[in-house]
Amino acid sequence: MTSEEIVEKIKTDQGKAINSSEVNLGDSVIFVGAERIHDIAEYLKNDPDLDFDYLSNITGTDYLNEEREPRFEVVYELHSIEKNHSIRIRVGLDEEDPTIPTVSDLWKGALYPERELFDMFGFDIKGHSNLSRLIMPEEWEGNPLRKDYPLTIEDVTFSHNREFKQDLVKSKPRTR
Amino acid sequence: MTVTDQGLLEREKDSMTLNMGPQHPSTHGVFRVVLEMDGELVDSAEPHIGFLHTGIEKTSEAKRYVHVIPMTDRLDYLSPPGNNLAFCLTVEKLLQTDVPERAKFLRVIMCELARMASHLVWLATHALDIGAMTVFLYCWREREMILDLNEEISGVRMMTSYIRLGGVVKDSTPGWLQSVRNFVEYFPAKIDEYERLLTRNPIWLDRTQNIGVMSREEAINWSMSGPVLRASGVNWDLRKQRPYSGYENFEFEVPTGKNGDIYDRYLVRVAELRQSREIVRQALKNLPAGPYKVDDNKISLPNRKTLKSSMEALIHHFKLVSEGVSVPKGETYVPIEGPRGEVGFYIVSDGSNVPSRVKLRAPSFMAIPGMCKMMEGCFIADVVGIIGSIDIVMGEVDR
Amino acid sequence: MGLIDQAVDLLETGVSNVKENVKDVLDQADYDYSGAIYDSILTTKVGKVIGWAQKNALWPATFGLACCAIEMMAMANSRWDAARFGAEVFRASPRQADLMIVSGRVSQKMAPVLKTIFDQMPEPKWVISMGACASCGGIFNNYAIVQGVDRVVPVDVYVPGCPPGPEALLYGIIKLQEKIMNEAGTKQAAKRVA
Repeated sequence: MTSEEIVEKIKTDQGKAINSSEVNLGDSVIFVGAERIHDIAEYLKNDPDLDFDYLSNITGTDYLNEEREPRFEVVYELHSIEKNHSIRIRVGLDEEDPTIPTVSDLWKGALYPERELFDMFGFDIKGHSNLSRLIMPEEWEGNPLRKDYPLTIEDVTFSHNREFKQDLVKSKPRTR
Repeated sequence: MTVTDQGLLEREKDSMTLNMGPQHPSTHGVFRVVLEMDGELVDSAEPHIGFLHTGIEKTSEAKRYVHVIPMTDRLDYLSPPGNNLAFCLTVEKLLQTDVPERAKFLRVIMCELARMASHLVWLATHALDIGAMTVFLYCWREREMILDLNEEISGVRMMTSYIRLGGVVKDSTPGWLQSVRNFVEYFPAKIDEYERLLTRNPIWLDRTQNIGVMSREEAINWSMSGPVLRASGVNWDLRKQRPYSGYENFEFEVPTGKNGDIYDRYLVRVAELRQSREIVRQALKNLPAGPYKVDDNKISLPNRKTLKSSMEALIHHFKLVSEGVSVPKGETYVPIEGPRGEVGFYIVSDGSNVPSRVKLRAPSFMAIPGMCKMMEGCFIADVVGIIGSIDIVMGEVDR
Repeated sequence: MGLIDQAVDLLETGVSNVKENVKDVLDQADYDYSGAIYDSILTTKVGKVIGWAQKNALWPATFGLACCAIEMMAMANSRWDAARFGAEVFRASPRQADLMIVSGRVSQKMAPVLKTIFDQMPEPKWVISMGACASCGGIFNNYAIVQGVDRVVPVDVYVPGCPPGPEALLYGIIKLQEKIMNEAGTKQAAKRVA
């Protein structure tokens, strides 16, 4: 199906469940509320015409610097292997309570991207089997991919080669 | 210990925790996996990643679009042009620009050469893990030739950054094309050489057949991609399904396997070596003349010669170097077929010259839970074979 | 004082005794070239001999981190052939290695692991920091990357490049060999096994 057909079909079948839909640069996109995402995902996977059996990607986005509500967004990319079409689901998340149900019961491939969302954005994934830090160390504080997290932290100041470096500085000819 | 009905000895379960990595020669980088062992068998495998977390996605949010390209090289460091291409295609989709035919062909040549180089490293290290040293030396011999080609056209051996926004960084030379042609003619005999060493080698068969099996449904559900997915019998190659960068102009086959075991993945990748070589051959044959980048000074630098005569070109040059490309507001995702599977960038632009969010869809990252699923119930000695058959690159797993 | 040092001291005492005796013998023999023999062979220090042996048998640990690890593998392969300089025996266990090539970026999560591996290596040991990321953080000046591995382990040779080619790494190894040879028989070499 083409992107337009996909969007039309979802509009007729699940018009009330989705917030809005569009065809953006040739890709079909639907906007869903966090509480409806699991139902919509189940529908997309099990509908025989849509048949989205392959979860390609889950992305988190932080729109802190842009004037828009809500602040966070989770983006799902789905493919259908048989039908060869794709869809993007965008789910807005509140700043105070970034909670979203897991889709890892539908697609096992969602397990790690969702854990990554928890780690890097601090989203609470409801129903996830193992919600713990994935990429950053266990004792790390903060969620690096949030916009209010600083990019650079200067921390370690000591160096094993300090002595050697001081010698170098001393041996330099004095200028002026 | 008790005797079962079949007369076998059965003992109480006695599990042992075994740590593998992050410093282990066959984890292909700094992958760590904690194995719960029951004797020689793996009960469960718990992966630990993040030892190579580089913060590339976060750093990209502070760099201009052009400056992100060299960082994408360092994600999947075995096939840098693939990452460059995925990034450039995504930004070009946001810019709604199309690159000239010659640039597309040059991009395809670079990507397929990188795919060959990447598969050669995979074959070398995978065979070395299982115990075949000769293949290791042979594969590196041919990889060095590809790296020499890279060096000739872009100046570096590995991190080429050859593919840029709106085309490629510079045109190919006749000498380089002849070198590629020579390599393409030389290469098939060498693939036969590797196959002579492995394909019917009984040790290789014993170590790879019916090990790490993943069925078609499982492979789809666990979001495996690339050769792993195809080895499980799924005919899914984005070069065929969603042709990008002019792949619809090439005739090639998509090899698929049947059993989804390590051996099938080996066969699929070796067949892909031949197909990649075929694509490069066709690209060289049909390489069109014409410009190698878009004639839009808002995206690519103006011609060097015009700088001295045209004031407008000089202003464009200054603006582009000091400010960079401004990308319209929006977000998009473009997947391409990398050597390990679906490589895609999800880019959010806020209308400025700096991306607001850059996310890499990394095939190795998505494959890690599925890989640990394969390890369950296999022997400890097969764990290295399974890791090798997935061909993970930690650079793109941890990003 | 390490075992090696004790052995070196014992040997050197023995050798100096021999030297004394030989000097007497040579003096008595009154050959024309006796002085030359004495200068060329017998004044060589045992420490130098050991340094010569060490520099020609560097065993690197297989410690691949990122992109540079691929070039490190290339260095060990037939075209660049690190075996010419005796540095091709990559050891999977740090306990059998005496050279650590930090090949690639070191993340905050990896730094404690790297330090542990370095501590596990037997003395004397050397470190080559390969590439821009390991030497200074490279293009990744951010929260995740240790800005130079010399904040974690002492580095002997820095190899610049992103990634450095195998020839650059070979040059680094040759430089390290020079360093080992210069240090051999001096206090710095003794400090390494303290």
